[in-house]
Amino acid sequence: MRAALVLALGLLALGCSNDPYPPADAGARILYVPFQEAPKTLDPQVAYSVYDHEVLANVYEALLEYHYLARPYQLIPGLAVEVPRARPLADGRVAYRFELRRDVRFARDPCFALGQAGRDTRELSASDVAFALMRIADPKVNSPVIETFARIVGLRAFGQRLAELRESEPGFAALRIDRQYARAGPVEGIRVEDAAALEVVLAAPYPQILYWFAMPFTAPVPWEAVAWYDGREGRDLFAEVAVGTGPFRLARYDKRSRIVLERNPTWYGVEHPEWKAPAATYPTQGAAGDAERGLLDPRYAGRPLPFLDRVELRLEKEQIPAFTKFGQGYYDRSRLPKESFEQVVREGALSPAMAALGMRLERSVQPAVYYLGFNMSDPVVGAAAGERGRKLRQAMSLAIDAGEFLRVFLNGRGTPAQSPIPPGIFGYDDAYRNPYRQPDLARARRLLAEAGYPGGVDPKTGSALRLSFDTGDTSVQGRLRFLFFIEAWRSLGLDVQLDATTYNQFQAKVRNGAYQLFMWGWVADYPDPENFLFLLASEMSQTRSGGPNTANFADPGYDAAFREIKDRDNDARRLEGIRALRAILERERPWIELFHPEDYALIHGWLHGVKPSGLSVPVWKYQDVDPAERAARRAAWNAPVRWPAYALAGALVALLAPGVAAWWRERQ
Amino acid sequence: MAAYLLRRLAWGGATVLGVLAFLFLLFFVYAKPEDVARRALGEKAPPEAIAQWRANHGYDKPAVWNPSHPFDTMLADHYRRMLGFDFGNSDADDVPIAKRLRQGVGPSLSLTLPLFALGLPLALALALLVAFFRETYIDRAGVVACVLAMSVSMLIYILGGQYLIGKLLRWFPISGFDASPALIARFVALPVLVGLLAGIGSDVRFYRAVFVEEASRDYVRTARAKGAGDGRVMARHVLPNAGIPILTNVVVEIPFLFTGSILLESFFGIPGLGSITVDAINANDFATLRVMVFLGALLFVAGQIATDLAYTLADPRVRLE
Repeated sequence: MRAALVLALGLLALGCSNDPYPPADAGARILYVPFQEAPKTLDPQVAYSVYDHEVLANVYEALLEYHYLARPYQLIPGLAVEVPRARPLADGRVAYRFELRRDVRFARDPCFALGQAGRDTRELSASDVAFALMRIADPKVNSPVIETFARIVGLRAFGQRLAELRESEPGFAALRIDRQYARAGPVEGIRVEDAAALEVVLAAPYPQILYWFAMPFTAPVPWEAVAWYDGREGRDLFAEVAVGTGPFRLARYDKRSRIVLERNPTWYGVEHPEWKAPAATYPTQGAAGDAERGLLDPRYAGRPLPFLDRVELRLEKEQIPAFTKFGQGYYDRSRLPKESFEQVVREGALSPAMAALGMRLERSVQPAVYYLGFNMSDPVVGAAAGERGRKLRQAMSLAIDAGEFLRVFLNGRGTPAQSPIPPGIFGYDDAYRNPYRQPDLARARRLLAEAGYPGGVDPKTGSALRLSFDTGDTSVQGRLRFLFFIEAWRSLGLDVQLDATTYNQFQAKVRNGAYQLFMWGWVADYPDPENFLFLLASEMSQTRSGGPNTANFADPGYDAAFREIKDRDNDARRLEGIRALRAILERERPWIELFHPEDYALIHGWLHGVKPSGLSVPVWKYQDVDPAERAARRAAWNAPVRWPAYALAGALVALLAPGVAAWWRERQ
Repeated sequence: MAAYLLRRLAWGGATVLGVLAFLFLLFFVYAKPEDVARRALGEKAPPEAIAQWRANHGYDKPAVWNPSHPFDTMLADHYRRMLGFDFGNSDADDVPIAKRLRQGVGPSLSLTLPLFALGLPLALALALLVAFFRETYIDRAGVVACVLAMSVSMLIYILGGQYLIGKLLRWFPISGFDASPALIARFVALPVLVGLLAGIGSDVRFYRAVFVEEASRDYVRTARAKGAGDGRVMARHVLPNAGIPILTNVVVEIPFLFTGSILLESFFGIPGLGSITVDAINANDFATLRVMVFLGALLFVAGQIATDLAYTLADPRVRLE
């Protein structure tokens, strides 16, 4: 008994360390990052969240990529040899011809034995790209971007044929997936010329399609992986594995605790060091300020990628433990929890104490916009109320101080928005000030009186105009935020009631059009103004078509001007059109634009090559760590403090000893 | 005894069926499958994808009443699946729920087993100690300490433990999990310590009360009269006789060792069964949630019946009729 106790205490003393990693990894080129939420799926044709893409973008490769440093964003070739140009065809169609690099191979995986016994990898072919595009149309895959890719001639029809064959022909659904596609195909608008070239034909011009070819949705997947990983007989689901051509391969996928990526030994860039394409080497040129931030360090510029051997992602649902481990040196970067903001940031820069530890702060405005919306189908705040409604919306817009909101709730992490278009996107105008977005309560009261609600009073009822602010967020933090807006409107005399329901009930209200005011946000899919301005096009109306125009804004002038700009190249006419759209939004006020969020990331001095982008970019191939510096820092920061354990044990003995002694005396 | 057991089993079965009915009402009638779909597919999913998702998950069937195929309804599917232990796939990410449960049992047990194996003897030993020194300052200090320990919320223990032991003293990692033999003790140490501290107060107080009551009985006086020492009286006479109330407390807990600790697992990032429940709630993953509730109900009923049986084994005077 006593021996066991001594042994247990001894083991505990030996195990007494806060290092969460095995000692063998101490000197390795490993990047350690926390993840707050696991990917929902690793199926590139389905994945749509930031968390999904963080992993996917590094494991799969798309035909195109974004330049890592250049801003505004710039497309560079990925699997393709060059960024294709649109070729107009006779009947209004346009074609894009992609030429692929030869000799690209998929990461090693047992699934390839399906195609040929004994094989564990194979060369990428243009038909793998076609296969990926066809998967988007496959109803069983359930891709969220079918609407976008239905512009490819015949793609939707292919999906319908596939569904019909599965329904009508016995045994068809049990066929191997490539055979099913071959039977239901081909797709008129996807022409595979040979193993290294394919042409994609769109029914109408849509230049933004190229951005979609830089997202994981179009990443080629081998049919063998889809056929093999079907979730049967102990095999994983395709959504839980990753068989791509990227610089990293998925070594471990335990999404409830740990995800590990390893350098992919069969990556094209590793096997072909002579390949000096922008996607294979660290950039030698960047945006303004990159040199000062050390992003053009000569130790990296022009060097072949990737630098890291492994990326370890650990699940950290709570921000504070993740931040603590960052402080101990066990994560290489961290987000900034609100609770620690004051301690870390002083006047927009890193506090001197943290800077002395070698840490850096990376700030970047995200390509996103948050806004308050009016339901334009509503009889009181919407279009049906005519001039009265317009003035009401204008007055309510003037009452909201986005700068104050950012200070109170987000530690100032964001830029007040003047229009839907965020910085870094074509059409953003730094000098533009929306006259209805500069807080002015006096003017707001005048407009409210002109709208027929003097002092906020509705003459019909004789009391304050009652409006409802609808939300699906019932959290305390959410409530405080919404009360900020409601208080601002109350100061005009309006009686805005917060109607917080469950997320599902809120969704139902939105679908039924039974809401008046709401708060919403949009994160760009791709860096083009069309991806923001389409949020107010009438064809995207939420209540009518289930689209993302939650404000149900329907303005013929807006729609016409939007059609004019949406497929244009970034020229002077497009800029003019964007200004016209901005003017309509400024007057009509379907939105009260709030802010473009700013991302603050804390980075240790030993991590190199970090540039936040807000888009799906294969970032890890550009990053590197200095393991020696990290090991030294960790050792200095993490010596355990042992004396309280001894003190506690001593105190216990001191507490019990007199009692035991008394008992002993009595017994004697 | 057999008749009693059968009756208990029948009641237990009825309870579980009732729980299932309640689950169905809550998850598939009150909450609409369409909302679950929207949550699973994300904000930007078009209606087409939502409809397809419902079809793929069997949520496009009539809920309760289907005149042409009476057994082709969501309700029938619900009972068929649960009672057949065919749990299906998660609503959030389509991973087979059975697989997730298998993966979660290990981490959960690696936390609950040490907690149970250390907690019970420690609580008994402390209770015996306090009872042994009853009506001295050790007893009074012990009871005060127990009441204090009971009054503090579990969350305070967790956050305080993480802050003090993980952050300030740096004895163990503040959270996380690694099942490799070299590291597992390091990760489990802090949650076990926190779990022990949080649970020990009420246990010691309860066991102490049992021991003190037993120690004042006639047979104890007889034993003392026959010359048995203090230690022998406590260990040989009081402890076995205090067994029944202790057993009640302990046997009910055993089935729940498998379901893990929701709070500890969530805060310490242990990928066990307890955090599966929390994750399912956060993700609107009703398919997983109903399995966890169903298993919880089964284990609860099993724990009750096991306690009854344990009575008869521990005390020959108890007969189940």
